[in-house]
Amino acid sequence: MLAGAWSAAGLALAMALTLGAVAQAASPEVPGASQIVTRTLPNGMKLVVWPDKDIPNVAMYTWYRVGSRNERPGITGISHFFEHMMFNGTKTRAPGEFDRVMEGNGGANNAYTSSDVTVYQNWFPSSVTGLIFDLESDRMRNLDFDAGKVESERGVVYSERRSSIDNDNFGTLIEQMQATAFVAHPYQIPTIGWPSDIEGWKVTDLQDYYRQYYAPNNAVMFIVGDVDPAAVFKLADQYLAGIPAQPAPPAVTTKEPPQLGERRIRIERDAQTPLIAMAWHTAAASAREARVMEVLLSILGDGDSSRLYQRLVEKEQAAVDVGTQFDAGFDPGLAWVYAVVPPGGDVTRTEKLIDEEIARLAKDGPTATEITKARNQALAGFWRGLETISGKAQALGQYEVFHGDYRKLFDAPSEYESITADEVKAAAATVLRPENRTVGVLEAKAEPKAPAKGGAK
Amino acid sequence: MRSLALAFALLPMALAVGAEGVKFPAYKSATLPNGAVVALIEKRDTPLVAMNVTVRGGGLGDPTGREGTASLFTDLIQKGAGNRNAAQFAEAIENVGGSLTAGAGTESLGVNASFMSRDVDLMLELVADALQRPRLDAAEFEKARTLAVQSIVAAKDADPRALMSSYGDAWLFRGHPYGRSVGGSEASLAMVKLDDIKRYYAEHVGGDRLIITVVGDFDAATMLPQLERSFGSWRKAGAAVPTVTAPARVTGRPVLLVDKPDATQTYFWLGNVGASRTDPARTAQSVVNTVFGGRFTSMLNTELRIKSGLTYGASSSFSRPSQPGSFHIGSYAETSKTVQAIDMALDTLARLHKDGLDADQLKSSQSYILGQFPPTIETNGQIAARLADMLFYGLGPEDVNEYAQRVLKVDAAAVRSTIDQSFPQPDDVVLVLIGDAAKIRDAVKKYGPVTEMKITDPRFAPATK
Repeated sequence: MLAGAWSAAGLALAMALTLGAVAQAASPEVPGASQIVTRTLPNGMKLVVWPDKDIPNVAMYTWYRVGSRNERPGITGISHFFEHMMFNGTKTRAPGEFDRVMEGNGGANNAYTSSDVTVYQNWFPSSVTGLIFDLESDRMRNLDFDAGKVESERGVVYSERRSSIDNDNFGTLIEQMQATAFVAHPYQIPTIGWPSDIEGWKVTDLQDYYRQYYAPNNAVMFIVGDVDPAAVFKLADQYLAGIPAQPAPPAVTTKEPPQLGERRIRIERDAQTPLIAMAWHTAAASAREARVMEVLLSILGDGDSSRLYQRLVEKEQAAVDVGTQFDAGFDPGLAWVYAVVPPGGDVTRTEKLIDEEIARLAKDGPTATEITKARNQALAGFWRGLETISGKAQALGQYEVFHGDYRKLFDAPSEYESITADEVKAAAATVLRPENRTVGVLEAKAEPKAPAKGGAK
Repeated sequence: MRSLALAFALLPMALAVGAEGVKFPAYKSATLPNGAVVALIEKRDTPLVAMNVTVRGGGLGDPTGREGTASLFTDLIQKGAGNRNAAQFAEAIENVGGSLTAGAGTESLGVNASFMSRDVDLMLELVADALQRPRLDAAEFEKARTLAVQSIVAAKDADPRALMSSYGDAWLFRGHPYGRSVGGSEASLAMVKLDDIKRYYAEHVGGDRLIITVVGDFDAATMLPQLERSFGSWRKAGAAVPTVTAPARVTGRPVLLVDKPDATQTYFWLGNVGASRTDPARTAQSVVNTVFGGRFTSMLNTELRIKSGLTYGASSSFSRPSQPGSFHIGSYAETSKTVQAIDMALDTLARLHKDGLDADQLKSSQSYILGQFPPTIETNGQIAARLADMLFYGLGPEDVNEYAQRVLKVDAAAVRSTIDQSFPQPDDVVLVLIGDAAKIRDAVKKYGPVTEMKITDPRFAPATK
């Protein structure tokens, strides 16, 4: 694929627009889960190992608790830029060697940065596990910043920004809405970074970041696949245990104050299909309200049988597509609803229909069938997430990092089972209030263009 | 450098694991009375079942000028079938946490389903209904057609990377069936009538065209008679499976410039006719393409991204249908760097022809391919799709089981002959560029004759005379 299938980057934002509910659901016995072993090294770094011999490969995911939420004006986007620099040379390996060695030994890698975390992913044949430990520990211990690489990588990230934000109408709208919805909390910062900051990062900024955030005590590593835990821990002792711990990074203490009224923004760009999105302040990933919101959003907009799809796409033809998204992070994030309006369509009408569906849910609550559907979708999603070694590594990381314990992954199905229709109804009324939301519309500059010629009207 | 040596010292071990570690799971297969081919694999590590139904024909059966017919047919079979209307059909799937999608490709169309094992009977019922008892309702047809048109328009407002192959194939294969857009264009979809869908269904969908694969947590002994009951007595398709002849390679460098006035980057696609799915040289092509444009450290990505920072990504790939499909290079760069980036891509292609691969690159590529292969057949859905693909192209399990040996057998001579035969020369590639035409129009004339269209034009290639 042309896109960054292997590019060192995925943005939380990009993921946000593609996924369905990240839900799980009824706590079943998971084959092999009893073999998961953990170990915390003396320097504070935790390892979670899940042996799984289905294929002769390993997925190694290293999560650092740092993302654009840790940034400030002047260095926005630096968490993501740092992620790129993690592939660009250490004191012992020249820029590019990390990738050349890994690929030459049958491995592949990627990484992504979100508002909350930066995650490095290695996929490799189990026979080279030791070598991958060597590579991963080297960049945790010895990262170096080549001035020439910093400059060329700036261009790479700028190109990434152009594709995912500047030349993508949804990317543009979401970025502006995030910056509007948060007036105090750093979730207002776009993970890719504002253009002037992309042009402005200095090597000293990167060095500070490395020291503060890339410490073993700020990381958790998940190793899933064809491995023996004892052998993995031996490699951890050899390669990771000697990396010194650092003082805990400064906490993000700013809390977003309650929103006191609806905010609206309008973006003018070339567009045949206008866009509308709404974002409400809600809860942190670990709160029960987050689970309730996931169920609520799935009933509203997940799949062809959802309320918004049936009303806006099927019945009224007021949208080409609809969707929902919940930003699950350390701090209270946003719940999103969005719609692509047909060419020449009336954005106001689409908005009114969304409002009607939300009001109906807040007044009458979901049906019993809808609650069962959400549970079943969560349960099936839980199992689909565990079909691959990389899915397992991702799911373990999600629960260890955002919920404080990877074992909560296995409780997720029963937690979804426990969510009631009344809770969903209450959340629709208390969270999805106009005063608590930001509404964003993207439309063509002047008069909306005529529908495309040759359309099926 | 020390660790690089270490890396290659470890290489033989990695290769041995790749070679021995991957065996395609044993499958039970049968041919039903109407000619449908069925193949089953039990895999019980999760309580899920995946089903893949492939129907030979696909977009090749679309009437000329009404491209998108097969694709609309696959949209419509999800909008009411058997005793369920559109809403009821969606609810039946989603209420149990299942997924069921249908779509058309150039040479086949298909249904993919994934359900929890407790719902496997429902899955079979829904798939059988969709294929054998679709309602093909007139109101649903109008909605589906309108939505298909609007979705293309919406894609033109989004990241242009998603559109490159639609324009690329249309330009490279113009005049050949592979150049006809399977999803249709705004213009061709406007011409499709419900009668076209019904005729397509009668002529190009039926029991003799089916390949059904099921993988996951079920009992094969009961599944086989179930499938026979559900699909074995279905009528055959009324027409013969459409066939195509090999497309001719393009000489020279015809340029298609698609004007997107607000674009701040130029997105480009360069290619020529490449290879078929059963080309004896396909493994050697993959070994070479891995080095040239198939991974992060590839020659293309090294030049355009890693060394120069011109782009977020540059890559190349083969698309391999039953006759030779496209080999293409894709990347993008800031508008003012358009020519620099395209020149660099063409120079890199020239260097591949001149220098070939050295021994280290060959070994590195083989190791990478073998190391990354096992995760491609890890899930029920991946295995079901791979099995269907093998049956579709008449390949057996040796396609997987002997893959490692085939990869390792590629030697310097095979590399050289593959570069000569399967990779185009930089003077013979079609170019598709999406970008701000006013700013690049003159500069790109140097590549070849330029044909221009607007992104808002309702087609993916200029209208033919």
